[in-house]
Amino acid sequence: MISGRLRVARAALVGDTALRGSSFGHALADAVDGALKEAFGTLEQHDSVALVALGSYGRRELCPGSDIDVLLLHGLRGRRAAGTVREMTEQLWYPLWDAGFVTGHGARTVKDSVALADDDLDALTALLEVRHIAGDDSLTADLVQKVRDLADRRHERLLRALADAAEVRRLRPGPVAEMLEPDLKDGAGGLRDVQSLGWAGWAFGRPGGTDALIARGYLAAADLERVEAGRSMLLDLRVALQRVTTSRSDRLALQEQDAVATALGYADADGLVRELSSAARDIAWTTGDVWSRVRDGLRGPSGRGARGDRPLAEQVTLREGRVHVDADPDGSVPALRTLEAAAAAAEHDAPFERASLTRLRATADPTWDVWERAAFLRLLRAGANAVPVFEALDHEAVLVRVLPEWEHVRSLPQRNAYHRFTVDRHLLEAVAECAVLLDAGDRRDQAPGDIDGVVARACRRPEILLLGALLHDIAKGRPGDHSELGAETAERFARRIALDSEGREILVWLVRNHLMMAEIATRRDLSDAAVADNVAAACASDPERLRLLYLLTIGDSRATGPAAWSPAKASLVRDLFVKAAAAIERASVRALAADRRQALAERLGEARAHALLARFPETYVLAFDPDQMRVHEELLEHAPTVRCVREDGHVTVTVVARDRPGLLATLAGALTVCGLDVLDANLLGTTDGIALDVFRAADPFGRVEDDGARVADLIGSALAGDLDLGSRVNERRQAYALAGTEPGPVDVVVDNDVSDTDTVVEVHAHDDVGLLYRLASALSDLTIDVRVAKVATLGKRVVDVFYVRGADGRKLQDDMTEPVRAALESWISG
Amino acid sequence: MKLVVAVIKPFKLDDVKTALEEFGIHGITITEVQGFGRQRGHTEVYRGAEYTIDFVPKVKLEILVEDAQATDVVERILESARTGKIGDGKVWIESVENVFRIRTGEAGSDAL
Repeated sequence: MISGRLRVARAALVGDTALRGSSFGHALADAVDGALKEAFGTLEQHDSVALVALGSYGRRELCPGSDIDVLLLHGLRGRRAAGTVREMTEQLWYPLWDAGFVTGHGARTVKDSVALADDDLDALTALLEVRHIAGDDSLTADLVQKVRDLADRRHERLLRALADAAEVRRLRPGPVAEMLEPDLKDGAGGLRDVQSLGWAGWAFGRPGGTDALIARGYLAAADLERVEAGRSMLLDLRVALQRVTTSRSDRLALQEQDAVATALGYADADGLVRELSSAARDIAWTTGDVWSRVRDGLRGPSGRGARGDRPLAEQVTLREGRVHVDADPDGSVPALRTLEAAAAAAEHDAPFERASLTRLRATADPTWDVWERAAFLRLLRAGANAVPVFEALDHEAVLVRVLPEWEHVRSLPQRNAYHRFTVDRHLLEAVAECAVLLDAGDRRDQAPGDIDGVVARACRRPEILLLGALLHDIAKGRPGDHSELGAETAERFARRIALDSEGREILVWLVRNHLMMAEIATRRDLSDAAVADNVAAACASDPERLRLLYLLTIGDSRATGPAAWSPAKASLVRDLFVKAAAAIERASVRALAADRRQALAERLGEARAHALLARFPETYVLAFDPDQMRVHEELLEHAPTVRCVREDGHVTVTVVARDRPGLLATLAGALTVCGLDVLDANLLGTTDGIALDVFRAADPFGRVEDDGARVADLIGSALAGDLDLGSRVNERRQAYALAGTEPGPVDVVVDNDVSDTDTVVEVHAHDDVGLLYRLASALSDLTIDVRVAKVATLGKRVVDVFYVRGADGRKLQDDMTEPVRAALESWISG
Repeated sequence: MKLVVAVIKPFKLDDVKTALEEFGIHGITITEVQGFGRQRGHTEVYRGAEYTIDFVPKVKLEILVEDAQATDVVERILESARTGKIGDGKVWIESVENVFRIRTGEAGSDAL
């Protein structure tokens, strides 16, 4: 029985594990051919019929689970024809079915077949690979001729349909190299992509197939070799997979990968997947390149934006939407030219012209002068468009000239659902994501609450972020801690490209610590202040390191996979960043205070410095520099005293006097009466009851003479109670208030939670003659004692902050805060 | 059978998982969720840019257990997830009608 023999033959072939890939395909096709020829021989009628193979059977590329696609061509007509045809097909197909094959079968005239192909892309491509098995070969030849003519006639529609289908495969099911469980047939970079090339060739007439593509310059012979090697590997894999699973599936599931690897003689699944990724990426890159050229060709000369040549750099031109690079007379290409061409290609989102790309193989070793560094950084800065440029450069082994360590991570798979890309692709995507973050910093319109843009804008060394993104996982796949090893690689790389020492140090730090923020943000209690302090310390209290690490954390996570970043993670990382930034700020404030104490000690000697500082609260050392503090020491010895000097275009009035209620109001009023406009004030008190009040004022009427004696006298009188400040301030106010001006918005906040010992009163108002006097008087009338005050003027707005206590020397009662607030507001507005 | 559900602070996940593993529980379903509770969102300021943390990230665990185990499991979660600060989360117990293991078709206690 035909079917019995075929079944046995098939089982033998499937069981013969030494028979791999295309050899298996050929052998199985031969066996099926034999069975069909035999079956055909038993038919009563032989003329005007032909039995042909289609699809993978036609290509003799069968796998254990493949369908057998066959077609019975005939020229019969009439009512009885249908019956005859049916009888014939039953005699032909049953042996196949009985032997356990699934078939794609049909019986048609040549004319009907061609009509079907005209309508349906799948039918057309299947018929492009027709192979005669038995019967009237002139019938087959007729079909072949007509189908090829059809492809030629409909070449535009065919090419577009194939290019579109390739595009769809990139999205669904997606690239073979990026899938955890790749679809070997329909994935981008899989068998369908390879087959499509052959079909496309027929759109150009004879010789058809990939030869036609080469003849027309769409495909380079060297690339075809790599594609063929890839196809061979895919077939080996597909045959082994279907043997192992005894199914028709083309999906290399995770649980099958070990068995398939063993069957093909790999040490482990990692080795298998890596080679598969590499092959698939070669195929995907080449077919992508071909389709891009095909689309260009379809658009025609005008469609290619032929505005003539556009120079991009020396010997680098943009022509018809592609980047052309010239070689030097000796065939080599200086590294600077390659780097500039690459940067320009990314910036213009234009692919390389094919011959130019091949020319880049002869790129000379970089010297890493400032121009080459700049061009390389431009390329990194280009964002998402840099990824295809890098892939093109890697295709021609140019990238490893710049970064030899790239060899280790090329096509290195990560083989878990968390990581979508191979390591090399992940690094490129991380660079792209970081470039996008830097773009956000360049934009002026920031969404409210978007600190990422603020952080990006604040970065001093954004190029280090991009280099960090490029290198952060470069040591993956080697035994050991990839962060530590990566830092070593980063050090070597930084020296090689002659990066400045600060940049090198930050880069090495960044790679070493690139996982820190993500880990701490998700694993530690952010409400614990020690956590933020530790991060600040790990950043060596350097705000730039913290900023770069924050942005790298975001870029790295976004480039990892859909599970690696979410609004929840983003919010945790952002929270940690803000807290760590505040911790660094606190640390720098402490450092400033320590520096000043030190400087004061150098000027006065330890003992005197200590004695002075001990009289004041902690904030004294932050409010004044050592020179000012020396002056204060002297003034304190002669208290009560007033010092009034011109400094930097302003007048500084320093009053040292016994502290008492209402002192601030008195001084503020006196200054107003002097015609001075108080801009800032620092009011502090010593532990032994002396007030040190320092006012910085503008002198719009030029009242203050060089020695400031008049001001000092007036203040003296005011302190002695000899002046009616209330009415004199009022006089000035009425004299100088501009008619018709509206008082600006007044905002008073009374906060009892900020400090343990004092109530904080914060006033925002429009600057006005005597405002500080009125405020201080109001507070005094409410028997509120001002302990510390800070007054600042910004343009027309004034911000006054008072640390106050009640008459009993303690914070105000909580239920007093609102009445006080309301009273102050009405005082100022009134 | 019961379903023990817990919503906890994300950084406590490792502690809770360890505590449950020590108790012999190996099957947990984990989801990232957001919480709006008394902890509320809050506002932070960075370089003058104010931003509000709209939601508080939490992690939800769901564990299928025998009736008899439920109280102990809850106890373990309470201990290991607690920090004492606001926002620690909640644990509760739901009743389950039946459970099936997909691979084998086993039902009831055999499926746990």
